[in-house]
Amino acid sequence: MLRKRIVLLSILLGFTLFISIQVFTQEAPEVSAKGKEVYEESCAHCHGTEGRGDGSAAENLLPKPRDFTRGLYKIRSTESGELPTDQDLFEIITKGMPGSSMPGWETQLKTDERWEVVSYIKTFYDGFKESETPPRQISLKDKIPYSDESVQIGKGLYTDLGCIECHGNVGRGDGTSAPTLTDEWGFRTWPANLAENWNFRGGSDTEDIFKRFIGGIAGSPMPAFEGDSFLHFGLTSEESKRLSVMENKDEMTPDEEEESGKLYEKMDEAVLVALDRVEGTELTPEAQKMYDDAMKIVYEKSWHLANYVKSLSPEKRPETAIGNNVLRSQYMAEDLPILGDEAWDTLQESYYPLVGQVVIEPRQFNPTIDSVRVKSFYNDTEVAFLFTWDDRTHNTEVEENEDTGTSYEDGIAIQFPVKPPKGPTDEKPYFLWGGKKAVYVWQWKASAQDQITELTVKGVNNVTVQEMQGDLSVKGEYNEGQYRLWVKRTLATDDKKDLQLESGVFVPIAFSAWDGANGDNDIKRVISSWYSFVLEPVPSSRRFIYPPIVALLTVGFLFGLRGFVLRRNAVSVETDTEQ
Amino acid sequence: MKTKLLTSVAILLVCSFGLIVFADNHEKSDEMEKLVFPKAYTVKAVSGGGKISGVIKFDGEVPEMKKLEITKDEAVCGAEDKFDQSVVVGEDKALKNTIVYLMDISTGKDFEKNPKIEIDQKGCKFSPHVQIVPVGQRITMLNTDKVNHNVHIFSTINKPVNKQQTKTRRRMPLAGVKKAEGPVEVKCDIHGWMKAWIAYVPHPYFAVTNEKGEFTLEDVPAGTYKLGYWHEACGSNNKEPVTVTVAAGGEVKQDFTLKLKK
Ligand code: HEC
Ligand code: HEC
Repeated sequence: MLRKRIVLLSILLGFTLFISIQVFTQEAPEVSAKGKEVYEESCAHCHGTEGRGDGSAAENLLPKPRDFTRGLYKIRSTESGELPTDQDLFEIITKGMPGSSMPGWETQLKTDERWEVVSYIKTFYDGFKESETPPRQISLKDKIPYSDESVQIGKGLYTDLGCIECHGNVGRGDGTSAPTLTDEWGFRTWPANLAENWNFRGGSDTEDIFKRFIGGIAGSPMPAFEGDSFLHFGLTSEESKRLSVMENKDEMTPDEEEESGKLYEKMDEAVLVALDRVEGTELTPEAQKMYDDAMKIVYEKSWHLANYVKSLSPEKRPETAIGNNVLRSQYMAEDLPILGDEAWDTLQESYYPLVGQVVIEPRQFNPTIDSVRVKSFYNDTEVAFLFTWDDRTHNTEVEENEDTGTSYEDGIAIQFPVKPPKGPTDEKPYFLWGGKKAVYVWQWKASAQDQITELTVKGVNNVTVQEMQGDLSVKGEYNEGQYRLWVKRTLATDDKKDLQLESGVFVPIAFSAWDGANGDNDIKRVISSWYSFVLEPVPSSRRFIYPPIVALLTVGFLFGLRGFVLRRNAVSVETDTEQ
Repeated sequence: MKTKLLTSVAILLVCSFGLIVFADNHEKSDEMEKLVFPKAYTVKAVSGGGKISGVIKFDGEVPEMKKLEITKDEAVCGAEDKFDQSVVVGEDKALKNTIVYLMDISTGKDFEKNPKIEIDQKGCKFSPHVQIVPVGQRITMLNTDKVNHNVHIFSTINKPVNKQQTKTRRRMPLAGVKKAEGPVEVKCDIHGWMKAWIAYVPHPYFAVTNEKGEFTLEDVPAGTYKLGYWHEACGSNNKEPVTVTVAAGGEVKQDFTLKLKK
């Protein structure tokens, strides 16, 4: 299926190329045929034959495939305003850009092919030819190692420099400027969620982060934080402290007036040297020294800030909730903890990645919700879940906006089969909102945060609100770019349409979530395939379970898991083809 | 599945044709909206030069100035109502913020020495809305409100600029550029409604119309020139510039009436 499409696509592109080919041969005679060939084969359907980012596959994508004719590159080792180095281009082509549709080409293209295509994409922008000097690179010297102290200093800088405007107080990309951002081409864009750094386009190492905010992310709203973006550029730390003290006084004495005046002059001088440098004026040795001294302090602060940003994400992307990481609801004898109870902190989160729903129209090609994380406790009669997911905006209603389009209500749905499969061979309902086999769904909406609606669903067009709404306890909240939803239900209910829960039984679970500001509404949403969870049996005397049963369960689980993984793969293939 | 494939193929076909056609047009129409600069410009003292002046008027129903939605920092930015500045029409339909200039002048006076070029961001609004900047000249961005701004200049010929001006940075100078370009958009992404224009120019025969729609170009060496205009919403006359002939010490009047771009 996929292959067929690619063939067709290539034929089409070949045709398009045929028409525009004369233009190319005139414009770029010195470039090897090889780079062009690789480009047209592997890149043009996204980036366009003329590098304008308007390939046939570009239409649905956000961020758009890059328009190479403007010379704007996000991931650079170079200073603000500079072009990337060839090495930068080579690396980004090799690794790809997580959180976007730009694939990595490490395995698809040979090393020399990647270098050839680097030279070729440079021909789309004259600036590469014209620049006489190599681009100025950001120095990575004197890195300050990660420490709690460094992170603390960085935290202060994060606020002082105004990262919060876009990235929000704790970095989830929910700053007050986030809803109105557009990229250089006028398309909507969102600040990175700094707590999910596996989605960073240019890598999550401290060095990567350091380079991103010093150089800025060209083509996006993310500015560069250069020299005089920092407080008191040009002063030593002592001078800066001294000046702050004086500035905070209601009135300065004449001596202080004079002292601060001198410091202001010193700062002005440093700034002018920095401008001379950008403009390409040769610096005198004294000026160079002044600049280097000033930048030493800026770079020091920048390492602290980079360490802080690094601290906002887990060390690596959490493992998906399968195999050893499957969600195991923990037994407790007493009442189940409510939302905010410390007991929740004792549990590990199970991580369920979400992807855009691209199986049926209307599709979501540009998902903004990364995942939902889940914890659970149960006792003899009840089960409680805590669902957590990040969403940059809190939308509780439909809103029309001329600039950013319509936004809808946020929400989440948790989906179960009506009955757990009897064994590994018993088929589960269709993963996307069920089908012939119905699914049992808890639907939650941001406008009614302490309420859940129970649904019986047999496919996207066959949704029924259950007549008998169960007695569920629900609490939802939105805080700093994050939703938390707490749900408690009895293990058993009187409603035949509800899922009945029993300890030790593996139960399929799947999710749908809606980020209204990203246009998610109804079918357009982010989804997961089936996962499973279990109420972890207690090895206590009261709930004694014969070892053979445990063994059987384990075997059953392994089978279930195998089937699950197989099906999951099937689903992901299906999803790929559709894309 | 088959039918789906066929439809997508059909769509792709149409799209790829569309691309060939549209891509070309796009660039041309973009080019049309830029200022036209002489290939080279030589500075020579002008004595007994002439003067070109006039008034720009708006033709057609004056669009209502949209009130801008202040989405953050209300205390500072929302202190007074702000309106979209893309069409500012005064009394007698006078059109503000139009650039009027000589397209093909190759010899003439020098720029004023050390001009003070400042763009203020007071109240989270750029003023002026249209700023002429000589090539190589530095601009100072003012920030007296103590809020964070990012100065984002959408240059394509010169190096793009996007730099944070933190709340403590009251006067932030920006480096001079190497080449004539523009007008290019200036934006603050933090306050998404803040927009302005900068034109980097290679000679001093540029003017921006005031509230009364007036412009004046002084010390023009006697001769015949193409007189151009540019307006954010009304476009340019690059296709059919007006020819004016200036006599030594003379004054030429040339008015324009502009309509919204289609
Ligand atoms: C499936 C579509 C797709 C294909 C195929 C693709 N790209 Fe991209 N590419 C993108 C998207 C989307 C972006 C922009 C991502 C962003 O801005 O965050 C991008 C960005 C880039 C960038 C900009 C990197 C930067 O630092 O900003 C380069 C360079 C690039 N692609 C090169 C290539 C090359 C070379 C190929 C072929 C070998 C290729 N791409 C194939 C979608 C694609
Ligand atoms: C004007 C809004 C804005 C401000 C202010 C801002 N950012 Fe960003 N930032 C963005 C946007 C938008 C992106 C997403 C860029 C993209 O990939 O298109 C981003 C992306 C990032 C990334 C991810 C880089 C990657 O490789 O994908 C990091 C890290 C980051 N910002 C750090 C910071 C830090 C640190 C600060 C303050 C010093 C800051 N940002 C200030 C808007 C902003």
